[in-house]
Amino acid sequence: MDVVLEYSDVEKFIRELLNDYDVIAPVEKDNRYIFDQIDDPSKIVCQYDTTLLPPVKWIYPNNEVLLRFKLSDFTETKAVNARRNQVLVFVHPCDINAINIMDEILAEEPADTNYLARRRSTIIIGYDCACPCRENILCFDKGYHNADKGFDLYFTDLGNRFFVNTATDAGRAIVEKSTVFNKAGYSDKTDLMKIKWERETTFKKKVHGDINRLSHVLKDAYDDGIWEIEGKKCLSCGACNIVCPTCYCFDVVDEMCPDMEMGLRYRKWDGCQLHDFCKVASGETFREKSAGRVRHRVLKKEVYLKKRFGRSGCVGCGRCIEHCIADISIIDIFNHVMERTGGHGEL
Amino acid sequence: MESSNLLPRHATIVDIRQLTDKEKLFTVRINNGGGFQYRPCQFVIFSMFGIGEAPISISSAPLDSGETIELCIRSAGNLTGAIHKLSLNDRIGIRGPFGNGFPLERIDGKDILIVAGGLGLAPLRSLINYIIHHRWKYGKVTILIGAKQPKDILFKEEILRWENDSSVETYIAVDIAETSWTRHVGVITGLFKYVDVDPLNTIAAVVGPPVMYRFVVAELLAKGIFEGNIYMSFERRMRCGIGKCGHCQINGIYLCQNGPVLSYRDARKLQEAL
Repeated sequence: MDVVLEYSDVEKFIRELLNDYDVIAPVEKDNRYIFDQIDDPSKIVCQYDTTLLPPVKWIYPNNEVLLRFKLSDFTETKAVNARRNQVLVFVHPCDINAINIMDEILAEEPADTNYLARRRSTIIIGYDCACPCRENILCFDKGYHNADKGFDLYFTDLGNRFFVNTATDAGRAIVEKSTVFNKAGYSDKTDLMKIKWERETTFKKKVHGDINRLSHVLKDAYDDGIWEIEGKKCLSCGACNIVCPTCYCFDVVDEMCPDMEMGLRYRKWDGCQLHDFCKVASGETFREKSAGRVRHRVLKKEVYLKKRFGRSGCVGCGRCIEHCIADISIIDIFNHVMERTGGHGEL
Repeated sequence: MESSNLLPRHATIVDIRQLTDKEKLFTVRINNGGGFQYRPCQFVIFSMFGIGEAPISISSAPLDSGETIELCIRSAGNLTGAIHKLSLNDRIGIRGPFGNGFPLERIDGKDILIVAGGLGLAPLRSLINYIIHHRWKYGKVTILIGAKQPKDILFKEEILRWENDSSVETYIAVDIAETSWTRHVGVITGLFKYVDVDPLNTIAAVVGPPVMYRFVVAELLAKGIFEGNIYMSFERRMRCGIGKCGHCQINGIYLCQNGPVLSYRDARKLQEAL
C-alpha cells in the first residue's frame, strides 16, 4: 500500500506517533544533527546529512542494563530487557542497512537477547536521501544507498509532499490508524519514479576498480605497508568505533548502589582500536600495535563479516572518516590496496 | 521472566584449596541442579555480582555427573583478587561452559603428548585426568610440565601421582631451581629429548603462555607430528562467551565459539593467533 503525506501534515503525523511511541528523530545540535527523543514535532529536521551517532545506537545503547541483582538474595538476580515501544523517524538508507546487518549479526545463535528485545519493539521509518549527503561517503559503491528492507514505512520527498511506502504490517497499521495519509495516485507514482531516477545519477563512485574484489584485495594486502602508515597516524581514540553503525563490541561492568546491596550490570560500548581491548589478565596485549588494530577494524568489516554473512559490514556512511582526528580514511585505504594489487586480489 | 544469554546461573563455593602463593582451586556447585556438561579445555565465565566477570578454564575432568566443577584461579586483578577472598558457601554466578573444548573424538587409540606451561596445566589437568580415567583407550601417554620455579608448580600431589603411575610418562622442568631440585632445569622444550612417540600416530595438546607456543610447535613438528594433530588452546579476554563482544576475536573467528582449542593447521592460517 502506497500513500502520500502533505508537508503540512508531517507534524500532525508525528504527534499521532507520540501518542503510542517514544519518537526518536533527527534534530539539530551545534550545527550538526543527532537522533534524539523528541516531544515537539517541530524540532524534527527532514533534510539532514549524517547524524553524529547512527540511529542504531537507540537499539544498542551505551550503558544498557543487562541484569539487576541483590547481594543478599541471589534469587533476585534478573535479566533486564527493554520494553518501551520506540519509533526511529527519518532514517537514511545507509543506517537502515546498518540495522539490517546488526540484526543478522546479533540474532545469530547464541543470540543477543537484549538487542533483539529492543529491536522487536522498534518501528523504523525510512527517509530517502535525495542526493549524496557529503563528500566522503561510499554508500553508493557498496549499494547501501538504497534500502530494500528493514523499515516499516519509507518516505520519499516529492518536493511538496512525501511519498510513503508501507512495507510491513506494523507500518500499515500506523497508516490505517492515522488520519493524515492519502492514497497515492498516478501522478504521485510518476513523480516518485522521476525522483528515484534522478537520484541515482547524483551518486559517484569513490573506490576505484571492482568493489566486489575488495574483500579479496584486502585479504591479499594483509602485510601491506599501508597498515603501518595508517597505524602511525592513528591515536587509538576509538572514535571510529563509537560512530560506526555496525560496531557492536562491548565490555561488561557492574555498578553497586551506595547501599552495597543492590546493583546493576551494564554493557558499555567498547572499541577494537583501543590499546587495551585485547589485554588479558597476564598483562599480554594481543593487538599491541595500532597498525594491527587499524587493520583489524577494516578487515572485520570487509573480510570477516563478509565471509560470515555474505556482504560487507561497512555501509559506507563515512562517519569514521569524518570523525577521525588523524585523517584516516577507509576510502583512501581501499583505493591504496586496490591500486597496489591491480584491483584483483587472490583468485 | 526475562531471559538472557548473559544471565549467570547461581552457584556455591563448596571447596577451596590453596595450590601455590597465587593460585587457588575452587570447587563450584550449581544451586538449582542442572550441573555441567562439558569437555576438557572448555571454560566458564565466573561472575561476582558487583565486581564483574572473567573467563576461567575448567580444571576438573568430566568423569561424574557434573554436579560440581573445579576452577584453578590465579589472583591477577580486581576480580580474581576478590575471588581469592571468597569463603566456603559463598555464592557466585556461572555462565557456560563455552567453547569447543578438546576434540576427544579424534584421540581414541592415539599416542598422546601433553605439553603444559605454567597456568596451562589448569585446563590440561582436565584432559590428563580424563585420559588417565579412560587409559585403556589410548596408546602411549606423555606429559610435559613446565613452571618458573618449583613453588609455582600447580597440582603437586597429583603430579606426583602421575609420576608414580607407570601407565603415563611425566616430565617436569622449571626455569630456576635450588640445588635440591632433582628434576629438569630449563625451559619446557628441554624435555623433548625424553619424548619418544610414534609421530604418525600422535596427538599433541599444548597450553601455556603465548611465548611458549612457537617453540613447542617447532619441537613437535621436528618430531614429525602432523600440523593437524597439534592442538592448542588460546587465552583471550572473553567478555560475553556468545560470540558478540569482540574481545576474543582472532582475525575472523571468535575463540569463545570456534575456540579456544585450535589445531596448529588452523591456527597458522590466522595471522593473529601465534
